[in-house]
Amino acid sequence: MQISENGTESTDKLMEADQHVLNFLDSMDTYLILMDSLSSTLRQGWLELASARHSMGAARVSSTLFNLKSHHASTTLEIDDVDTNVVPPHFTLCKWVASDDSEMNNGEANCKDDELSLAKPETPQALVEEPQARRAESGESPVSPDGHVQQARSRSLSMFGTLVSPKLRATQTSFEKAMEMLVEISNVRASLLHAHNQVRKTRRLPNSCV
Amino acid sequence: MANKPQIRTNSSALIAMIADEDTITGFLLAGVGNVDLRRKTNYLIVDSKTTVKQIEDAFKDFTAREDIAIVLISQYVANMIRFLVDSYNKPIPAILEIPSKDHPYDPAHDSVLSRVKYLFSSESVASDRR
Repeated sequence: MQISENGTESTDKLMEADQHVLNFLDSMDTYLILMDSLSSTLRQGWLELASARHSMGAARVSSTLFNLKSHHASTTLEIDDVDTNVVPPHFTLCKWVASDDSEMNNGEANCKDDELSLAKPETPQALVEEPQARRAESGESPVSPDGHVQQARSRSLSMFGTLVSPKLRATQTSFEKAMEMLVEISNVRASLLHAHNQVRKTRRLPNSCV
Repeated sequence: MANKPQIRTNSSALIAMIADEDTITGFLLAGVGNVDLRRKTNYLIVDSKTTVKQIEDAFKDFTAREDIAIVLISQYVANMIRFLVDSYNKPIPAILEIPSKDHPYDPAHDSVLSRVKYLFSSESVASDRR
């Protein structure tokens, strides 16, 4: 009986070890795929920025025009309040968050989790729900973006002037997409490092079968 | 309720950046830029005049701040302070090495992959077999 119990325990440990290794390899694969997608998206953004600079003039799209007055970031992150020694941290992107405004002071931040897609190269994108997507879910036509989000986007573009090239708007869209990917990559990175630690712990245990 | 805009809470965290001008410009357009009351920004533009000391100071500053959750750093900039980046091992803020216009992403230099690649080395496999 004792021998069979020991045998069952060894099998369980072996399965757990295999699971950790699989998690680790999956995370690494996803990380590399996402980094490749990020490279493409950033390349697209740089190209669009170069086009905008070409049409608007180098002096109108320059770091000398950056807003250095005190202001909050419109795009921030939320981190789940977890013990990072036990589970990996989870980041959630909050795009175009409102500043303290009496007209809109009616509740907490409403960030949606990005749904990490573990699909293979064809669809590595995260889904970050913005207010317009929620309107679509509620049955309204998913047409133009929410007014506040548009205003925030325009405010961001306004540091380069009132009238900007469509290429600069395209640049903004590309980098927003890159931002979503980066948050996804951060979550995968955290899973990868967590899985790596699990594999290392398993290998250090006596009678380890890995 | 469906049209309720997102409101910033006290638990919001920032994204810091140490990169070239075009990358910083793009991410500022995405709304990531933050300037506090002391005119301290959450980004450092790296150009030909930026010294390694400035990059090191910015990295140490961003990784020490509690309001920053992710630090984006161009990989070619990370290579200038490789020892500092590789020796950083806290979960938050997360350090992400990103490509730049003139320097594509190289997995061989990524600090996360460097940390885990020993699991695939022949010495590692051989030591398990003994």
